[in-house]
Amino acid sequence: MDNRIETKGESEKVEQAPAKVLGVPKVEPPVGGSFPFSYNIMVDENIPDEEIAIQVKNVSADYLVRDEKVDNLKEWVVRFFRGKLEKKRDRRLIDVSFTIRKGESIGVIGHNGAGKSTLLKILTDIMEPAEGTVRVEGKVAPLINLGAGFDYEATAKENVYLNGAILGYSRKEIEQKYKEIVEFAELGDYMHIPLKNFSSGMVARLGFAIAIDVNPDILLVDEILSVGDESFRAKCAEKIEEMRKDGVSFVIVSHNLGEIKRLCQKTIWIENARVRAYGDSAQVCAEYLKYCDWLKKNKKH
Amino acid sequence: MEKIRETNKPANLKEWFNLKAKSFRKNANIVRELVNRNVKIQYRNSAIGVVWTVLQPLLNMLVMLVVFGTVLGYGDDPTYALYLFCGTITFAVMRAGTTQSMTSIVNNRGLLTKNKISQYVFPISCNLTACINFAFSLIAFFGVMFIVAFLNPEINIGTAELPNMVSSWSMFSPYLLLVLVVLPALFLFSYGLSLILATLYVFFRDVQHFYGVFLTLWTYLTPMFYKVDRFEGNIILYVIKMNPMFHYVEFFRDIAFRCPLGMESFDPWNLVIIYAFGLGAFLIGTIVFACTRRRFIYNL
Repeated sequence: MDNRIETKGESEKVEQAPAKVLGVPKVEPPVGGSFPFSYNIMVDENIPDEEIAIQVKNVSADYLVRDEKVDNLKEWVVRFFRGKLEKKRDRRLIDVSFTIRKGESIGVIGHNGAGKSTLLKILTDIMEPAEGTVRVEGKVAPLINLGAGFDYEATAKENVYLNGAILGYSRKEIEQKYKEIVEFAELGDYMHIPLKNFSSGMVARLGFAIAIDVNPDILLVDEILSVGDESFRAKCAEKIEEMRKDGVSFVIVSHNLGEIKRLCQKTIWIENARVRAYGDSAQVCAEYLKYCDWLKKNKKH
Repeated sequence: MEKIRETNKPANLKEWFNLKAKSFRKNANIVRELVNRNVKIQYRNSAIGVVWTVLQPLLNMLVMLVVFGTVLGYGDDPTYALYLFCGTITFAVMRAGTTQSMTSIVNNRGLLTKNKISQYVFPISCNLTACINFAFSLIAFFGVMFIVAFLNPEINIGTAELPNMVSSWSMFSPYLLLVLVVLPALFLFSYGLSLILATLYVFFRDVQHFYGVFLTLWTYLTPMFYKVDRFEGNIILYVIKMNPMFHYVEFFRDIAFRCPLGMESFDPWNLVIIYAFGLGAFLIGTIVFACTRRRFIYNL
């Protein structure tokens, strides 16, 4: 692609990077480059400008880490004088591109440490991409892990207000929504109890209720649909379906392939910080499963 | 492929201004909720709750009054209780603001790594909480003033040989309104220092222990229970006067009881000094924080 030319020096570095990515076994893909979808094709797909919810173009992300964690002053001073204070640039994402329409859901799969959470951090603008552009239209509500940033010392009610403010709502607006949130979470009797006394399922309920009640345009979901009891999960799935009809876009990170296939039209498979496959959910999941089988066999030898 | 407009990048000045105003409102809301939470959590599970914010400085002062009044021999001075109280509550703003802010970025990593929030809101809310606690202590302070005035209707501001009695009720004077002027300066100073400490703590966790020791030294270098006139002509006096907190503490004492009673005349120059320290700390802190805050996420 042409716009890679301007960052040629960088992309050479990129080529060697995957080996450095922490915690990911370096393995060759089972079937070479013969994946049914190349991620570059989808980017040039003719999506009208006003229909785009998220557009990610050639995004790479760095994580700056020191070789060993130097978090005390003595270590720092010793290394400073020895000249050993070098930082390592860890590439967590390399040349990732995709586009999501309004109302479309996209699944993100891949092994632990592949870069899925980094991708969500880029989408929420918590991390800046080292290269490439990200375009996000509308309000993003992160639903990353259990209760994206709850204070466990505070009561459930205080957390609703705090999270509402974080998602950009005034006190008045949250007061109007408060009743709905409590109703959806079915936690009426527990709102004045500190969150540390909640079970993880209850925390997840509250997190989900807040995130959907702020009427986001894009909802980022990271591994949380699998918590909660069966009835609440059904309720969430129903709500997600309803929101999708209203034009809310979803980015769902999950290890539950069944859920991905059910909820998402498109799926990105990220492996070793790169997009390995991008396209129709059923096909990508099938490829991913093949790869997992291949990994298992290789480990036995 | 055409160049894409990145979202949130304003096209013109008006758009930029609107965007800034929007994010300011959002951050103001977050700060308000955080302060609300901080004040409430402080004394959760305690029987009398928020009353502690008033009672705690009062009890502290009483202990110091008994101990230092005896040891240092200030027991005869009727204004010594006020002297102690002014010193401790002013210093407490800085102490509470900076120690809580220092760890606030790291302690709120759950919020910072999952949501798009400005990192500034945590130091601001910790320092605002400290200022609110200061306002609560003022209630106790007025109580102490009332008791002092009630017990000593007339105070001698002259010497024993040349008495000059003044009515102690003149302490309740318009000078007290200057609290509203000294508090913003103190906030700026404490906030600036907090930003530096919070930044350091993200990268070096041992700053916490270091600062703990430093605070002890700082406490003793600030005339809280002793009076500086015992160091007249001594080099220690110059060291003490280099200390920014000295100026805040002394200024508050001036407006609280010294100037109203006529013990000293009001010196506007002191206002310049406290604001110079406040703005200086604020500027340095903001620069340090602004340059490093993008890298916080990698060290949380």
